[in-house]
Amino acid sequence: MVDTFYIAWKYIRYNRVKSAILVSCITIIAVLPLTLEVLLNESERQLTLRAESSPLLIGAKGSALDLVMNSLYFTDEIPEPITMAAAGEVMDSGLAGAIPLYIRFSARTFPIVGTTLDYFEYRNLAPNSGELFTTLGQCVIGAEVAKTLKLASGDYIVSSPETLFDLAGVYPLKMKISGVLTPSRSADDRAVFVDIHTAWVIDGLGHGHTDVTTTTDNSVILKKEAQNVTANAKLMHYSEITEDNIDSFHLHGDPEGFPLTAVLAVPYDDKSGTILRGRYLEADTLYQAVRPAEVIDGLMATIFRIRTVLDAVIGVVGGSTLLALVLVFSLSLRLREQEIDIVYKLGCSRATISRLLGAEIVLILLAGAIGAGAFLLVVSHYDQQLVRTLLL
Amino acid sequence: MRFIVPIVLLIAGFSTMAHGETALNVYAVNYPLAYFAERIGTPHVAVTFPAPPDTDPAFWSPDQDTIRQYQQADLILLNGAGYAKWTQKVSLPMLRTVDTSRRFRDTLINIEDSVTHSHGPEGDHSHGDIAFTTWLDFSQAAQQAEEILVAFIKKRPQHKEVFTQNYEALAQDLMDLDEQMLEVGKRLDGIALFASHPIYHYLARRYLLNLEMVTWEPDVSPSDAQWHHLTELHRDHPAKWMIWEGEPLASSARRLEEMNITGLVFSPCFSTPTSGDFITVMKENIAHLEGIL
Repeated sequence: MVDTFYIAWKYIRYNRVKSAILVSCITIIAVLPLTLEVLLNESERQLTLRAESSPLLIGAKGSALDLVMNSLYFTDEIPEPITMAAAGEVMDSGLAGAIPLYIRFSARTFPIVGTTLDYFEYRNLAPNSGELFTTLGQCVIGAEVAKTLKLASGDYIVSSPETLFDLAGVYPLKMKISGVLTPSRSADDRAVFVDIHTAWVIDGLGHGHTDVTTTTDNSVILKKEAQNVTANAKLMHYSEITEDNIDSFHLHGDPEGFPLTAVLAVPYDDKSGTILRGRYLEADTLYQAVRPAEVIDGLMATIFRIRTVLDAVIGVVGGSTLLALVLVFSLSLRLREQEIDIVYKLGCSRATISRLLGAEIVLILLAGAIGAGAFLLVVSHYDQQLVRTLLL
Repeated sequence: MRFIVPIVLLIAGFSTMAHGETALNVYAVNYPLAYFAERIGTPHVAVTFPAPPDTDPAFWSPDQDTIRQYQQADLILLNGAGYAKWTQKVSLPMLRTVDTSRRFRDTLINIEDSVTHSHGPEGDHSHGDIAFTTWLDFSQAAQQAEEILVAFIKKRPQHKEVFTQNYEALAQDLMDLDEQMLEVGKRLDGIALFASHPIYHYLARRYLLNLEMVTWEPDVSPSDAQWHHLTELHRDHPAKWMIWEGEPLASSARRLEEMNITGLVFSPCFSTPTSGDFITVMKENIAHLEGIL
C-alpha cells in the first residue's frame, strides 16, 4: 500500500501544475460554503448579542434599521437627529434610564461615539489602561483603534472634518486619550468615545475663545455695544481643550435642544418597557421606539433568505466543478492510456493500476481538504474582525 | 454642630453597615442640597459636599481627584439652572445625576442684563443668563428636596418610610420659612430695597420684594464707578436698606450710611455655615429683614 502511495506521490509531483489546479478547485469548493457558514454564524452572534443587550432605542421616525445599525454598530448611515430633550423625557417618565448617543463624526475613519459614562457601565466596558474621561476634550478609545493606530493613553487623536473642502466649517478637535478599553469583541473595540458635551463641541455647538467682553485686543472686536459685543473672524477658537482654556469653553444655547442620534432607554422592568414603548406609538410623537432585537431578527431573516439563494448558487457551482473534475480525471486517463498500457505490460494487474489511480485521487482530495481546513482555521481566528470589517 | 454632624453620619454609616448594607454615597454641588440630603437620608446616606468652606461653590472648579469622586458617587445632586458651571465641563454619569430644579425649569428666571456677544453665524449669545439661587424661594427649595427624596427612594426603596418621614419634617421647616417670608414680604409692601449682588431674583419674585440688584462684593471696597452707579439708581429707587450676602466692609457700610442706606445680611448659605445650619441661617436672615419693619 505504501508503495502505491509512493508511486502516486511521485506522479503528482511530476505533474505539479495539473495537480495544483485540481487541489485548488477542491479547496475552493469546500471553502466557499464553509466560510460563508462561519462568517454568517459570527455575524448572527454579534448582531443578536448586541441587540438583545439593548432593550429599547428611541430615535427620529424613519428607518428603524438605520437607527439600530448606527446606534449599536456605529455604521455610517446617520439617522435623523433628535434632541437631548428626548433623553430628558425618558428620564422624567420614571420608566427607564436614558443613555444619550450622538454618533455622527469620525476620527481617522473610526466612529466617534458621544455619550455619557453610563454607557461604559451598561456595556461592562472598563479601561485596560488609563481611565475613563473626566473632562471635556478627552476621549477613550477601543482596543482595535489603539492597535490599528498604535495609540495609547496620553496620546492625542483629532476628529475628522465632515467634508474635506468645508473651509468655513467647524475646526477639528484635538482630543487627549484618557484610556484604552479592554477588548470586548464588539463594535465598541472600533470606536472613539467622548462625552456628549465634547461631541457637541465637535459639532460646533460649543467652543472656547478669548473672553470678548474683557479682551484688550481691539483688533478682534467688530462692534462693542452696552449689551452686545460682535467679534470678527480673527477671534481664534481653541482647537484643543486644555486645563488652561477649559473655562472659556461654553455651549451656545440650551443643551435640551442639542442633537442626538438616539437614546438608549434602559427600562427598570419589563412592564415599564412596554408602557414606555406604547407612548411612542402615538401618531403625534416625533420619535419612534424600537426593540433592536426585533429589527435584527428581521435583518437576520433577510440574510438567511439571501443565504439560501447563495447556498443554491454555491451548490450548482460546486456540482459543476465536481463534474469538471471528473471530466479532467477521465480525460487524464485517456491521455495516460499508453502509460497505463506499459505498466500493464510490465506485469501490473488491473487492480494494482486502479489502486495507483485511486491513491492519486485520495492524495489530491487530502491536499484539498488540508488547504480548506487551514483556510477555515484562519477565517475562524479572524471571524470577529472580518465580520466587523466586511459586514457591519 | 460642625463636628456633631460627621459623627452622627459616621455612627449612621456603621449602623447601616451592621445590617450588611453600605450607606448611599451622595455628592452635592452646594450646601443647601447637601443639607437637604442629610436631613432626608439620615441614617442611610453619606453626604459629601467637597467644596472648601471659604469658596463660592457656584464658581468653584474641583480638581481631577474630586471629579473622580463625583463620578464614582451613587448619586450626584445638581442644583440645575446653570449652577456650578464646572458640571458642564466634566463627564458625570447621567443615570446617577439628579437635576433638583428640573421640575420647575420652565419658571426659572433669565437674567436680562447679561452681556451677549457674537462672532459667527450662531448669532448673539451670553455665557451665564439664568438666576441660580433657586433655594431662596423656599417653596422651590421644598421641591428640590422632594426630587432628592424621589432619587433616594429609587436607589434604596427599602428605606422609603424613613426617607419620607425625614422629608416631611424638612418640608415642614421649609414651608414654615416660606410662610414667614410671605408674611414679611406682605408687610414690607413694596418698600424699595437694594441688594449687593444679583442672587436674590427668586427671593424677590416669590416674596414680592422691590429689589434693585447691583454687583458688589461684601469684602471688596466698591469702585468710584460702582458708587456712581448706585447714586444714579438711588434717584429712581429710593431704598433705605441694602441686602448683603455677608457682612460688608466697615468703610462700605459707613459710606452707605452717609447715603441713608442701612445694610443687612441675608446669607444665601452657598457653603457650610460656620455655625448653625440652613434652617437657622434662613431664620436669622428673616429676622434681619423683619428688622426693617
